[in-house]
Amino acid sequence: MEKLKRVGFLINPVAGMGGAVGLKGTDGLAEEAVRRGAVPVASRRAETTLAELSDVDALFLTASGDMGEKALRRAGLEFRVVSEASEKSSAEDTREACRSFIEEAVDLVVFCGGDGTARDVSHVIGSRMPIIGIPAGVKMHSGVFAISPKAAGDLIRRCLEGDLNTRETEIVDVDEEKYRAGALDTKIYGIATTPYLPALVQERKQIYSASSEEEFKEEIAIFASEFMRDGSAYILGAGTTTAKIAEVLGVEKTLLGVDVMRNGQMICRDASERDLLGIIDEVGEIKIIVSPIGAQGFVLGRGSQQISPEVLRKAGPENLIIVATPHKLKETHRLLVDTGDCDLDETISGRRQVICGYRIAQLKEVSASSNF
Amino acid sequence: MTPLDPPLNPQTGKVIDPKDLEMIFPRELIKQEMSTERWIDIPDEVREILKLWRPTPLFRAHRLEEHLKTPAKIYYKYEGVSPAGSHKPNTAVAQAYYNREAGIERIATETGAGQWGSALSMATSFFDLECRVYMVRASFDQKPYRKSIMQVWGAECVASPSELTNAGRAILKEHPDTGGSLGIAISEAVEDAATHDNTNYALGSVLSHVLLHQTVEGQELKKQMAIVDDYPDVIYGCVGGGSNFPGMCFPFVPDKLKDKKEIRMIACEPTACPTLTKGLYAYDFGDTARLTPLLKMYTLGHDFIPPSIHAGGLRYHGDAPLLCNLVRDGVIEAISFHQNEVFKAAVTFARTEGILPAPESAHAIKPAIDDAVACKKTGEEKTIVISLSGHGHFDLSSYDAYFAGNLVDYEYPAELVKQSLAKIPKF
Repeated sequence: MEKLKRVGFLINPVAGMGGAVGLKGTDGLAEEAVRRGAVPVASRRAETTLAELSDVDALFLTASGDMGEKALRRAGLEFRVVSEASEKSSAEDTREACRSFIEEAVDLVVFCGGDGTARDVSHVIGSRMPIIGIPAGVKMHSGVFAISPKAAGDLIRRCLEGDLNTRETEIVDVDEEKYRAGALDTKIYGIATTPYLPALVQERKQIYSASSEEEFKEEIAIFASEFMRDGSAYILGAGTTTAKIAEVLGVEKTLLGVDVMRNGQMICRDASERDLLGIIDEVGEIKIIVSPIGAQGFVLGRGSQQISPEVLRKAGPENLIIVATPHKLKETHRLLVDTGDCDLDETISGRRQVICGYRIAQLKEVSASSNF
Repeated sequence: MTPLDPPLNPQTGKVIDPKDLEMIFPRELIKQEMSTERWIDIPDEVREILKLWRPTPLFRAHRLEEHLKTPAKIYYKYEGVSPAGSHKPNTAVAQAYYNREAGIERIATETGAGQWGSALSMATSFFDLECRVYMVRASFDQKPYRKSIMQVWGAECVASPSELTNAGRAILKEHPDTGGSLGIAISEAVEDAATHDNTNYALGSVLSHVLLHQTVEGQELKKQMAIVDDYPDVIYGCVGGGSNFPGMCFPFVPDKLKDKKEIRMIACEPTACPTLTKGLYAYDFGDTARLTPLLKMYTLGHDFIPPSIHAGGLRYHGDAPLLCNLVRDGVIEAISFHQNEVFKAAVTFARTEGILPAPESAHAIKPAIDDAVACKKTGEEKTIVISLSGHGHFDLSSYDAYFAGNLVDYEYPAELVKQSLAKIPKF
């Protein structure tokens, strides 16, 4: 008989509380949020997801109390507590629960929270097992989040039934201190594996010559490896698609940083803005390859801040090459730029060609995020 | 005019010896392929069969004109009245005939959208030949009833890439879920023919003898236009490998070159696979596995698998050398369109003229409508002819996808490809 699937499940009970009371996030501020009258939302959202799973044949492993135990009991699902949470749950409780999930060799980790929780989960889990996020935070920029708690239920069910592919995605978070001060500074904190529901499952054969998202990353990378032979220096932004390009060229790229390649060689790893400006002065011919980061579709201004307005202006905005899988393009209504320089954002905006396969591109709307 | 560059033997790089082709083609068709005769007679037996649906009707699109409120006169010559639903039987019947005459018992071929496979299935059944059709998987899945109709006509239709050939197995090993391409399907069919003694290969497009057979369209068009005392200012036709469009307009080429008639002939192709508008003019293979002779043509590279747009019949990396030669010399023009705008035009056409066009054919309707609308400003009573190569009765899932907003407009990144076209062999 097939082994019973095991799901690691945890809730960050304070996630999302800061939003409604104007705190733009709850990291380190749960007590302040409660003082301002915030009510917990995460448990309720998690229960919406669990309600979708009443007839699923799986064992849930969870943390005690508000971190999962209570919600699973109310949902009437089969579970076992494998981690004791402290009374006021903290990031450390999340990480501790995740360590237990690894020990228990779960098939899938499901958490309910926001970007902060996603960071804590992925910090421990990494790419060991797929992660699904039930959206309950103030900000959810990471690619592991389902579009709604109900959709998360559907994803979990299909994942357990084994009919989903997984993909690599970025864990992104905003620096809340800076965010509260009015500055949006997003960083990539890690890479996680997540199952995804190809919105295109029924038409995949009609539209694509390859099916899985990873195959498309490979196609894009092979095409890039061909056009990158022109002698220019190529700045590769952060993310898994650009990392694939380096992989196809036989070099290892820093996943979270910006690297520079020329004639198939890595000439600068984890470059700073100053490094990039120096290379532009030295090489002259420079092109920039970026791909959308996380769930919102940012191609510039999130995750790769080293590619600054000055770098873009010196390289020439026409030398910006955007790459993205058709799956990502289908999910994202438009791509966004926020370089911090409005005029530059406007220059880059409009319908642009986005490379989405081997010698294949789509036209996609690129907009300045300040317009929204 | 620039003389046509001859096909080359891929092994030697030298001009192909007609004998090289005898392994897969009957001698009479090879003779036609190499011929420079102005006229080659249609055998009576072929002519009798063509009579089943020829001459095809030339319609004046009165209702479309009225809908557009244009002073232009729009005509369309409709090849969808053939039993297989497109212009393809014009050459299928002739090819089946010459193969039977040569004692061949079985024919292997490929098909993109299924039009050619259907046509050849019908033609082989008329001449008691066996037939196997390798159908590009993307289309095979989209249009299951194409397979059914081929079976009715006694042919075997398999999805390509298949497990039946070395070429197919090699592709499947690397890309088990691939939607396939015309280039791959050609490789499979050529391999099938080369490895079976009683079997020849038949190609539904690209080659000069195919274009020759299709010129019956343009010859009829000329006579039909004369009956109504009119003459085209412009002919629009879709181009995949280039057979219907050259067939319609080649009979007008001497008018333009010798008699200095002011006629424009415009080849219409998808932006996702813009061979004539964005391709490189060079010798390239006709197929993915590099089995065919090298042909001088506009090409996107034999290793390019075009995105699976819904005009499956236009997904080919190259085009007929004769057509390419004329585009190169500026006698024929080329233009490309995104699939959403093409479907929009197709729907307008269906709602005014009644006929549901194949998505391929609709590529010629789109610019004809644009042209007619432009005439409203100029007041020009332009004579516009659309080569309506087939009906879309097997393409309804594509229309569904259009109405559901699920069609993606693909682009061909020409500049970046130019940087990377080092793969094409140089001769």
